[in-house]
Amino acid sequence: MIKTKHIYIILAMVFIASCSDDFVDVDPPFANSADYFNSEEDYQNALIGAYDLLQTTYINVMIGEIASDNTLSGGESATDVIGIQEIDEMQHNPVNQQLRDIWGWMFSGVNRANYIMQYEDKTPFPGKENVIAQTRFLRAYYYFELVKFFGDVPLVRDRVVEFGDERDIPKAPKEDVYALIEEDLIYAANNLPLQQSETGRATKGAAQALLGKAYLYQEKYAEAADVLQEVINSGQYALLEDYSTMFENNNENNIESVFEVQYTDEEGAGFGCLQCSEGNIAVGFNGIRNYSGPVFGSGFSFNVPTQDVVDAFEDGDTRLETAILDIEAWAEETGATYAIGYKHTGYYNRKYIARQGDADIGDANLTNPNNYRAIRYADVLLMAAEALASPEVGNDSQALIYLNQVRERAFGSTANNLSVGGIGLRNAIQQERRVELVGEGHRFFDLVRTGEAANAIDGFQTGKNEVFPIPLIEIELAGNQWEQNPGY
Amino acid sequence: MKIKILYLCALFFSMIMQGQTVNVKGTVTEASSGLPLPGVNVVIKNTTKGASTDFDGNFTIEDVSLNSILVVSYLGFQTQEIKIVDDKPLSIALVEDAEALNEVVVIGYGTQTKKEVTGAVSVVSSETIEELKPTRVEQALQGQVAGVNITSTSGSPGSALTINIRGISTNGDNRPLILVDGNVIEDLSVLNPNDIESVNVLKDATAGIYGVRAANGVILIKTKTGRKNMPTTVEINAWGGVQETTRKLPTLNATEYALLANEAFAANGEALPFPDVSGLGQGTNWQDEVFERAPIYSTAVSIRGGTETQTFAYGASIFSQDGIVGGNRANFTRLNQSLNYSLDVTENLKFNAGVIWNYTNRNRLNEGGIGSVLFNAVNNAPTLPVRQNGGFSISEGLGNEVVNPLQQIQNSYNRQHVDRISGVAGLSYDFLDYFTAQVNYQFNYTEEGIRTFLPEQFYGSGKVFNIFTSQLTENENIFRDYTFDAFLKYQRSFNEVHNLSVLLGTSVFKTEGFFSGFIGFDVGNDIANASLDNTSNVESIFIGLPRNPFFDSRLLSYFTRIQYDYKGKYLFSAVLRRDGSSAFGPENKFGYFPSFSAGWVASDESFLENNSFFDFLKLRASYGILGNDRIPAFAFVSTLDGEATYVLDGTRAFGQATGRIANPEIQWEQQKTFDIGLDARFLDNKFDLTMDYYIRRTEDLLVSPQVSGLLGPSAPGASAPLVNAGVIENKGFELALGYNDYIGDDFKISARYNLTTIDNEVISVSDGVEFLVGGAFGIGQDPPARMETGFPLGYFRGFKTAGIFQNQAQVESLPTINDNVRPGDLIFVDINNDGVIDDDDRTNIGNPIPDFTMGFNLSFEYKNFDFVAYAFASIGNEIVRNYERNNPLTNRTTYYLDRWRGEGTSNSFPRVTTGANSNILFSDFYVEDGSFLRMQNITLGYSLSDKALENSKLSKVRFYAAVQNLFTLTEYQGFDPVLSSGAPIGGGIDGGGYPNPRQFLLGMNLKF
Repeated sequence: MIKTKHIYIILAMVFIASCSDDFVDVDPPFANSADYFNSEEDYQNALIGAYDLLQTTYINVMIGEIASDNTLSGGESATDVIGIQEIDEMQHNPVNQQLRDIWGWMFSGVNRANYIMQYEDKTPFPGKENVIAQTRFLRAYYYFELVKFFGDVPLVRDRVVEFGDERDIPKAPKEDVYALIEEDLIYAANNLPLQQSETGRATKGAAQALLGKAYLYQEKYAEAADVLQEVINSGQYALLEDYSTMFENNNENNIESVFEVQYTDEEGAGFGCLQCSEGNIAVGFNGIRNYSGPVFGSGFSFNVPTQDVVDAFEDGDTRLETAILDIEAWAEETGATYAIGYKHTGYYNRKYIARQGDADIGDANLTNPNNYRAIRYADVLLMAAEALASPEVGNDSQALIYLNQVRERAFGSTANNLSVGGIGLRNAIQQERRVELVGEGHRFFDLVRTGEAANAIDGFQTGKNEVFPIPLIEIELAGNQWEQNPGY
Repeated sequence: MKIKILYLCALFFSMIMQGQTVNVKGTVTEASSGLPLPGVNVVIKNTTKGASTDFDGNFTIEDVSLNSILVVSYLGFQTQEIKIVDDKPLSIALVEDAEALNEVVVIGYGTQTKKEVTGAVSVVSSETIEELKPTRVEQALQGQVAGVNITSTSGSPGSALTINIRGISTNGDNRPLILVDGNVIEDLSVLNPNDIESVNVLKDATAGIYGVRAANGVILIKTKTGRKNMPTTVEINAWGGVQETTRKLPTLNATEYALLANEAFAANGEALPFPDVSGLGQGTNWQDEVFERAPIYSTAVSIRGGTETQTFAYGASIFSQDGIVGGNRANFTRLNQSLNYSLDVTENLKFNAGVIWNYTNRNRLNEGGIGSVLFNAVNNAPTLPVRQNGGFSISEGLGNEVVNPLQQIQNSYNRQHVDRISGVAGLSYDFLDYFTAQVNYQFNYTEEGIRTFLPEQFYGSGKVFNIFTSQLTENENIFRDYTFDAFLKYQRSFNEVHNLSVLLGTSVFKTEGFFSGFIGFDVGNDIANASLDNTSNVESIFIGLPRNPFFDSRLLSYFTRIQYDYKGKYLFSAVLRRDGSSAFGPENKFGYFPSFSAGWVASDESFLENNSFFDFLKLRASYGILGNDRIPAFAFVSTLDGEATYVLDGTRAFGQATGRIANPEIQWEQQKTFDIGLDARFLDNKFDLTMDYYIRRTEDLLVSPQVSGLLGPSAPGASAPLVNAGVIENKGFELALGYNDYIGDDFKISARYNLTTIDNEVISVSDGVEFLVGGAFGIGQDPPARMETGFPLGYFRGFKTAGIFQNQAQVESLPTINDNVRPGDLIFVDINNDGVIDDDDRTNIGNPIPDFTMGFNLSFEYKNFDFVAYAFASIGNEIVRNYERNNPLTNRTTYYLDRWRGEGTSNSFPRVTTGANSNILFSDFYVEDGSFLRMQNITLGYSLSDKALENSKLSKVRFYAAVQNLFTLTEYQGFDPVLSSGAPIGGGIDGGGYPNPRQFLLGMNLKF
């Protein structure tokens, strides 16, 4: 009988001991994003998250060329990355995965910057202005890309967009977007040091140069001239003596770099998550199709330069052989072999094609380490020249000085210096931008803002193709509150 | 101690009694007719001594000890046991068996007889499993159980199978809950099918006893145990054989290929790639090169027995299967041991415990998609030799994903090994006449190691599989879980007509997993020496995260079930379960899940009692609300597990960013399930029939819809929130018909047929979201499958075609998708008649859900021979052909020989060209009827007669030969129509999947 009692007790205990409801309250394995920013480290960590999206701008750079008269789509065939093929043909429409990537990735960058801004005041620490200034630089960088590509875009400031909020965010006129860009960059310029302790972080010069560019895009020439000349006069930057070394892996973050998007070959990557790659995907995409030979690596033959842009170089311009690879001549010279891709022109975008000597971690096409020289001092000089040469400012002589600095390096002498003024000077500056910056993703936007796009680009429709369509699905997912860009 | 003494006494006593012997004679008759029964088996219990009755039903056994037990058995009749007390002739009348009705069905925290069950529950017995010799348990369910559909992405050894019960009811995880002796074991590859006593499938609201985990159905597996007073029995089952592919795709030979390539290049005004095709001949058939005959074998031993108070069962097995592609590079091996023990501590206190240990090792190739070995075997150029210049040939110019498949096999070193130990222990205590209390504890501990080695490999310039730096990844993951159940049963009959049974219980479940892994580069270039120790370039694969990921997921449940019946004629059952789950946010942590069922045994009514047709007839109905909690944990908060990696000072810097976007309101999917059915036996129990009609409506479906880019879902490591939104309805009809009969004395026949229809429809997706997309077709094309309101889940959306443009006039007369369309291209239909072909003209061109599935079993026994044939069929599903690379220089299947070459030459296969064309866009040209009938198993066995075994210790010796997957009747052109990823959106797309092999097997069963 005693035994039985024992068992009753055991059973009773078992029933009672069975858990209370808090058994199912479990902490998540990773920190809750609403409970963060408790230390400087948290801010620094979130800031790296905001920088991360810069690496996705590889597609922005490619499209900035392919949409222009500089390069053709290329690739394997007419259906290889259809979104890019359509843009090359100026046949793009609101269903375009690459444009959606840009939309999503740039807003992801905005969102990560806004995450920090939402908690800007939570925890004080010394040197916080630098963190906030970098954050605002990045937000401006992403918004500038958005406004370049899409014109009017929804504007979100200092808050993370929570699920459901997206239906109440109207499209803001691009003037408002630019206003935020200017505000952010002015703050950044005022709070960033001339040099950062770590290479790759945004500096005062980067903020000023980007601000100058934003002014230029709005035709605020006087403001542009002022701020760009501040960069020129800061003494931080100079033209690299040897243009041919500019884009090599061993010459990253050089004296001419005002801002670079940093890449590395330290980590593998796959097509399943292009945005996760730490490498410069454009480099693999631009690379020589099925290449086997010295110096270069293999790639997918996108973004191939046209004869037109090759012909745009004057005789004696040393930049040509740095910018353009004549693959047929190269193969003849070295015995290299390659395959002919779609829209093969015989030329490759030599600045950003795969090179040998990196770690080649798989997928080797997605892990090329070449940094993207986002803002070069030469670009700053030419932007300053453009602002100064505008009728509004009218300082042609100073503009010529800057223009000729760029040309002297290109030709190795002063013999090719120009001395024109007025419209001739302005055209010369645009021509110089084209050959100096070919392959670097600026051409399409330069053509659009100078009104030359319709002349230069086959199929370009004025009043429509100045901006790209907002991805249809994005309009739908935000509750159909935004009007599509005109013409699409 | 007391027990031991008693036992010894009993033993002693019986030994004394065995002293006296008699000769036993008797006659066996059929009770209903009084006719003699020949061929009846009469044996002395616990011995091999016995005899069979002759034509007049007579038998004699000599030298039988007094007080021993005579066991009289005959198939289809109830076995009788008779104690021998003297030598008087016995007159034995055997009663026909209604055994099937007394078959025990496991229904969760208890059992019922088949007669009492009020829900839709199907049982697969150990006999069926023995007949089918599945390499995995799931295969024993394929076509055997109405309403259960088994699919697999691959036929490669060790690949997982997906079980769907009554259609696909969620766009998320459709796996049913699987409990093995009450223990959650969802990876059934670790079980030895020989150890299984029965598989019970709860298809309707009966599953409601499992509450929030029941919505996808519940499978309860019972493993074999010993029986009390069972002499120790040893069984050996061994079989082995050879496997081969059932099909090779008809690809072009080298000459045909070269001519076609020339035609394609010429069509675009390009230089001919093969100016001289003479001497190319047949070239290499890459499929012949990669397919091989591969061995398979299995050996299992079990020892079972029991005494008055104890039972035990021990099993050990080894199973090994090579791949028909890749041989041992695709090998799967399983070692398994299990032990079960039970003890009646006292008359009312019972203890049981069991343990299963498993080791599995799986090697695998790249399979089932673009870049897989078979994809390459189909697409690689036949003009290339296997080897060239002392190495493998290089596939230049064929697209960046097409490489030499043999080189690819040679470079494959992917290995996954799993060590697992599972245990159960339980106590059951009967008290106060009507009560039973039971506690059970179950656990699993699993260590999984995955090792992937990539040596340096070069397949041709620009190939995506080129590896320039050797690479080794080693993952070590640990999983553990436990389930603790405690419940109380009250069971009592009132006035011998009111039967009441009440169950009250609680269950606690906790599962944890810990992940770790390292990746190293430049680790050495051959598999023997490759090691992470060889390099300093090693880092954690989770380097960007603040710590290695882990999970801790818990469930706390209370449940009750009340069953009542009146004279076993009117049956009622009600279940209520309250579940709390750590997967859901604070607002929705707990939920209640009720279900009800009722049955009416009409054949017990007086008006049917004397009918000559029905032996048994039961009508039943059930309704319940069940949950599905299979969602990622912590979807209700946004956590910092996204990727935040940038490069500072030339090296990576790691920060933090949010992962999945939060939805604080997330909760379980809710399924309302209704079932009405009948069970019947008729014509002298020769036929049995089960029919069901069901409606399952899943609401609050967890969807991860595309969300606005403003939320940042496409940031690295981020993803869209989970939202309770969609509604899916599955309706269907199930039928299972069986026939068992004896024809003459020596011939037994059994036939079974089952049929399932599924009507699946997406009722809604999500507020403001019209559809979700999934799957992949070709390279760089939009996902072809959709979940969209008003369509079946995962239907294929693409262009409808209307033949081929025959001439330029026709091209000009119809709208075309772009200016590149030429005569010879596919005509896309302008569905909305707006004069342009664009995205709006894409439409429903098929879906991967079969309209109905069927299974058919036939078995005969004639004297010592036995024969089984088993087939299953799936009708009305479509498959997307996605194993063609469609590059100008990749190989093609022979249907291209019938391509369009000029007006009137073909109206079904488009021209070939290297120029831009829209023929590769997803259209019904790539969608095929996936219906099939597969002869899955044919077995012929022979058992030695009792006479032959008389002087041996063996009680059973059977040899058999079997063919698995003998043939498949289908119109589908690909390797294997059975293959489909179970993906709700994106299933049914065939990227050249690894086909299920045909197997020729020889085997042997021994019992002593």
